[in-house]
Amino acid sequence: MMEVAAPSSAKRLAPALADGIARCMRDDPRVYVWGEDVTIGVMGPTRGLADEFGPERVIDCPISEAAFVGAAVGAAIGGLRPVVDIMFSSFTYVAFDQLVNQAGRLRYMTGGQVAIPLVVVGSAGAAGSNAAQHSEVPSALLLHGGGMRVVFPSTPHQAFWLMQGAIRSDDPVIVLHHPALGSTRGAVEPEALALGDAVVDPAGTDVSVFATGLMAHRARAAATTLAQEKISVEVVDVCSLNPMPREAILASVEKTGRAVVVDEARLTCSVASEIAAEIAERAFGALQAPVHRLAVPDVPIPFAPNLEAAVVPSEEDISAAVREVLRG
Amino acid sequence: MPLTPMASALETHGPEWLRTMVRIRLFEETLADLYKRGELVGVVHLSIGQEATAVGVCSGLRDRDQITSTHRGHHHMLARGLDPRRMFSEILGRAGGYCGGKGGSMHVSAPSEGAVGANGIVGGGIPHAVGLAFAARTLGRDAVAVAFFGDGAANQGVFFESLNLAALWRAPVVFVCENNGYTEFTPTDAVTAGESIVSRAAVFGIPARGVDGDEVAAVEQAAGEALELARAGGGPSFLECRTNRWRGHHEGEESYAKPYREPFAPADPIERLEQALRNAGHDVSGLRASIDAEERARIAEALAAAQAEPEPPVERAFADVFA
Repeated sequence: MMEVAAPSSAKRLAPALADGIARCMRDDPRVYVWGEDVTIGVMGPTRGLADEFGPERVIDCPISEAAFVGAAVGAAIGGLRPVVDIMFSSFTYVAFDQLVNQAGRLRYMTGGQVAIPLVVVGSAGAAGSNAAQHSEVPSALLLHGGGMRVVFPSTPHQAFWLMQGAIRSDDPVIVLHHPALGSTRGAVEPEALALGDAVVDPAGTDVSVFATGLMAHRARAAATTLAQEKISVEVVDVCSLNPMPREAILASVEKTGRAVVVDEARLTCSVASEIAAEIAERAFGALQAPVHRLAVPDVPIPFAPNLEAAVVPSEEDISAAVREVLRG
Repeated sequence: MPLTPMASALETHGPEWLRTMVRIRLFEETLADLYKRGELVGVVHLSIGQEATAVGVCSGLRDRDQITSTHRGHHHMLARGLDPRRMFSEILGRAGGYCGGKGGSMHVSAPSEGAVGANGIVGGGIPHAVGLAFAARTLGRDAVAVAFFGDGAANQGVFFESLNLAALWRAPVVFVCENNGYTEFTPTDAVTAGESIVSRAAVFGIPARGVDGDEVAAVEQAAGEALELARAGGGPSFLECRTNRWRGHHEGEESYAKPYREPFAPADPIERLEQALRNAGHDVSGLRASIDAEERARIAEALAAAQAEPEPPVERAFADVFA
């Protein structure tokens, strides 16, 4: 049997993001990287790129999110394909005008005269006492902002392929990555994953759990635990949030009849709420129990370790939610 | 005696500057009239009185160069050479507008004609010009970017950030602050600390100067030097063009805004150009009469054509969100 060469030698999530960027930089001289401390690559996605591509293409910027995201908007309109590492995705709030009003609007407002092939990559989620301004998952804000694609890979495989999909897309794409998953191990498989795909793993028959990022990890761990209780959980990793794999979500609920939607962000108007609404509108007949949303209560992420753990859904919270919808 | 560069430029370009300034004036007066008659939708910010800055700066631009502009940007677009018919169409929300009727007065954009566009967010377009300049240099395009913005934008954080980034990158960009004295309804002096706006640019090590923004030849000369520096790899420059906004912040504001400024009668930049041409020995009255007749006809024709256009098809409301 012939051995299929792994598409990436990266064994962990953050290096897989960096390898995805490197592939695109090798293929396309228009791909540039800039942002906060990118030659060091503090959060991982840009680590090592400066060694190969030099400071001309991997550019450390002042801490001026609005300007370096705005410059990337201009550069993208002007023909480059900038990848901006904003370090923590909470810092997108500083650049929100440039992301929402500019990157997310200009194609529409110009009647399609411009394309904005821009990637902004940032960590998202709580990873050990970074407190409220460095721990949020802004996916719902970004989705509601509109005009931006959003992906949130939770494995090296997803990271490698979605990063490349993001850079090759002609739209602005936000790539979120969880700081607690940077050194997560996993193989990069040869089958490419594209924007708009969901990853079903494991498949199951009793309950569908929808999650992204760290929540997808915890959902998979919960599925393993619950299998010992003879509960068959299907985990749908919604690693592409825009485009959202709505048909894959509905197909899973049609099969299992039960849904738990997990989100590492505030419950109100969350991605979990969107998925729950979609299921309620289009798969109501298949439901054998109410949809259960499991998310961060409407509070900021606190600092103290015990408080942080109290608000972010845990593996046990997910298992409990699954048991509850089975009772329902 | 040989002509000074300014006099020489006036000799070469004066009549064409006059034509463009008259075209802008007529275009804007036509909009004011349409607004009064209730024939415009949305908010319209007119540039009457600021023609010389736009024309002087755009005079030195080449096809590949790009400009970014503001909510008050019709004059920049017309000075860049955009078609008045497609501008009217856009402002009237018609299918044939530059943006297919999806941008409107504050957001006219025509990247293929060297105008990436106006922007409804004060200061929003400034970093785009830095990025456009960076991209142009990186792609070996031998082009520069010009960021037009107002005095109000000089109080935005992204203004300072963009100047810093442009200086660090030595980006081929020219920042043009069009200081018309009013930040919407508030006198700029009342909300702007420090010596001057131009002094803010100087601290970044960017060559910066103040110019009489109502003297087109002076603007053209200053902008020309800045463009030359950018083209030669010398990095960004900054111009503060001091001018006057003759109209309100937007048409129709008297319906709610109490009078907020003293009556004033600034010198007309068009008349100043005519005087300069007269001093240089031109038959200005003949020139102006023929320009007026031709531009009036052109604007009237452009408006009629735009008004005869259909509305955008409804399906356009759902298009162009993503590539």
